[in-house]
Amino acid sequence: MINKIKICGYRIYDQFILEPNQKLNLIVGANEAGKSTLIEAIALALTGRVNGRFASEDLNPYWFNRSQVEHFLTKLQGGDHPPLPEIRIELFFEDREELQQLCGAINTDVPTTACPGITMRVYPDPDYASEIDEWKKNPSHLLPVEYYALDWRSFADEKIARRPRQLTTVVIDSRTVRSLSGVDYHLRQILGDHLEPAERAEISLAFRHMKASMSETELGDVNKRIGELHASLHDQPIALAMDQGARSSWESSVIPHVDNVPFSMSGQGQQAAIKISLAMSRHAGTTNFVMVEEPENHLTHTSLTTLLSRIRSLASDEQQLFVTTHSSFVLNRLGLNALLLIKGNLQSRIPDLDPTTVSYFQKLPGYDTLRMILANKVVLVEGPSDEIIFERVFSNLHGKQPMECGIDVLSMRGLSLRRCLELCASLDVTVAALRDNDGSSPEELREPIQSWLKEGRRELFIGEVEHGETLEPQLIYHNDETSLRYILDLRTDADLATWMKREKTEGAIRIATSAKDIHPPAYMLDAARFIYG
Amino acid sequence: MLTYTQTNQAELRNRLAQHAGDHLGVEVLGWFTFLLRHFARPFIPFKFPAERVHGFNFDGRPHRMAKGKRRFLDSKGAVYGCELGRLSHELVTESAGKLVRRLECIYDEILVDEVQDLSAHDWEIVDVLLASSIEVRMVGDIRQSVLATNPRSNKNKRYAYAEAINWFREREARGILEIIESIITWRCHHSVASFSDTIFDPSWSFPVTESKNHKATGHDGVFLIESKHVDEYIAEFDPQCLRSTANSGKTFNLDYINFRLAKGTTHERVLIVPTGGIVKFIQKGTHLPPTPAASFYVAVTRAAQSVAIVLDKAGDSTLPFWRP
Repeated sequence: MINKIKICGYRIYDQFILEPNQKLNLIVGANEAGKSTLIEAIALALTGRVNGRFASEDLNPYWFNRSQVEHFLTKLQGGDHPPLPEIRIELFFEDREELQQLCGAINTDVPTTACPGITMRVYPDPDYASEIDEWKKNPSHLLPVEYYALDWRSFADEKIARRPRQLTTVVIDSRTVRSLSGVDYHLRQILGDHLEPAERAEISLAFRHMKASMSETELGDVNKRIGELHASLHDQPIALAMDQGARSSWESSVIPHVDNVPFSMSGQGQQAAIKISLAMSRHAGTTNFVMVEEPENHLTHTSLTTLLSRIRSLASDEQQLFVTTHSSFVLNRLGLNALLLIKGNLQSRIPDLDPTTVSYFQKLPGYDTLRMILANKVVLVEGPSDEIIFERVFSNLHGKQPMECGIDVLSMRGLSLRRCLELCASLDVTVAALRDNDGSSPEELREPIQSWLKEGRRELFIGEVEHGETLEPQLIYHNDETSLRYILDLRTDADLATWMKREKTEGAIRIATSAKDIHPPAYMLDAARFIYG
Repeated sequence: MLTYTQTNQAELRNRLAQHAGDHLGVEVLGWFTFLLRHFARPFIPFKFPAERVHGFNFDGRPHRMAKGKRRFLDSKGAVYGCELGRLSHELVTESAGKLVRRLECIYDEILVDEVQDLSAHDWEIVDVLLASSIEVRMVGDIRQSVLATNPRSNKNKRYAYAEAINWFREREARGILEIIESIITWRCHHSVASFSDTIFDPSWSFPVTESKNHKATGHDGVFLIESKHVDEYIAEFDPQCLRSTANSGKTFNLDYINFRLAKGTTHERVLIVPTGGIVKFIQKGTHLPPTPAASFYVAVTRAAQSVAIVLDKAGDSTLPFWRP
């Protein structure tokens, strides 16, 4: 299991340290936050490959961290002699017996620590020193990657030429690069690892026999005829035979079929599901890393549910799972406690979320927890009408919509305020929580959630009891009836209080779109002031 | 499987391929490679943080007064061969068990061939291995200790060269290991073997060698030859000529191998041009000091059938002269 990941100079990551969870990691972040890059970096250090291709063949100037390259160029142009930017990805593994070959102290940890681990380093090759010096005379943002070399090493300072056999890695993503046979590198590897050595040997032998017998039988007659053609240069006979080379081994010809449909022809969702199942139900004795990118992408809601429950049931101590997602559904289902939030070079996690809160959201997977997690500032309101009116009040006060200020207004729709606040508190999100007093005193209501509140960071706003139990009576209290009737465009025979109570959302929309402003209830105005400005 | 010289490693690999080619889990490593790969390279930061081992300097010696990392690493970051044992041993302690645990997880069993070649801090490493959960088996002929991995170290001087036997006997007494003496030689004719037994002072209490080479050629055993008969002897028997070092045996223009380099080889017949010490030993029975004794012992035991020693006067020796 990976205990720690250190990334330096790779794409978005300047200096990045992550200590992932032992079993399940749900990587969440805004677009461009570096979720896929993180998966890519881990896979690069584990397999020496990027998107299934050898990293050495795929080296690209865009792999280097922009700000490090900028920094280098500025210094270079300033007459300094800065070192060329490098990439270094270090994976620190759990101190397991089967990984001891990789154990050593050759890593960047201070003070010196020894544990099994792998470093992938991309560095300027000293053999090309003079070419690099030449390039430095006329440098550009595109580093001369042709003069860079890859150094893939264990913490024991031993070069690694191919994926260490104790570590199996599977990456399941949407942009899978396929070989001609339709089975990509990762699937071939999964299949290969899945079979026992004896089974592999048997299949391989049978496959050879089959190819050989075909050369003798069916191809025999054809060869007799072709043999009479005098096509070759010196009139040697020409014959057809099966390719017995390594490239045509059984691994590329034997492919899984799903319900009699070849794997590559089945749906992407089906493919992802099969790969995940194969990768996760491997025998013990190896450390397995399974990385799934955005499982929600290819699956219908039902398939996604099936897949997620399969992931949950297969998860064991034998594997570490990394899942990136944009879906609250995936997040809630797999458990919020596995969340890793990535924001550029920063990362945070939920250290000790109450297990009952985790299962609370697991049972309500449809709720948009991701919005709460990704927002910088959150306003929690009770329902849609509160949401609509708060947005109007906010823009009257600040002249901008909350969204433009990075503020997400979320209506809890009956969800527990305590659970939402706990989640926000665990990520230290700034929150203004608004709620109806429902006839109880604000002090009494504040009491049970006191531990999640923090002055200046997370505050609760409640209307005075004598101004009304919910938002609508509060509005009636703060505005005179005539102007409210005007804003709401009410018929004269309708009773204001009754209508507002019955047509909450409609009323809110009318208030929000009216040319005339309302007087907001004091607690709502306080909340709008608190959250911005 | 560990051994000191490259010749021995090649020999071991050949024999393994012949007798245990189906066992892929057997690794043959040189002693230095073993220390570099499992001690120095992975764990050097425990002694010198952020430092790396950038190579191996076999011949170099640190400056006598060198301190800190310069004691162990040359200016290019290569570790000195003569200091590798000490560095490795210190890293065992500095790594607080990590190093030994790693070894224990990688190897079930470690076999050391030609263990008599180890010296100085190497013995400390052997102690570490003996204390670990790894099974350790060592074979060697203490009487052949002519190489030393660190010629300048004072560490374990007590065990240097042929005195290594005392190191083992001490540990046997403490119940750490068991010595099994193998007294059989398959190579040397019994008369060569019994002569070789006389080379060391009896106080070493080495066991008497038993020969299983029962071949008779009509010219078997140890002979003296006078200088004037050397050419004729060579013409008749074509022996491998041996000398102590490149500086000895200059009186004759022969196709020599030095004693040290002859180690591990077998020849039907050898001809030895003796050193002053050897002459005294033969003429007066004065025993050689441990190192030259081991050297001479190696030279004599190269022969399967006969040993000829160039000597004009026999002195007290009862060895027969060969005459044409």
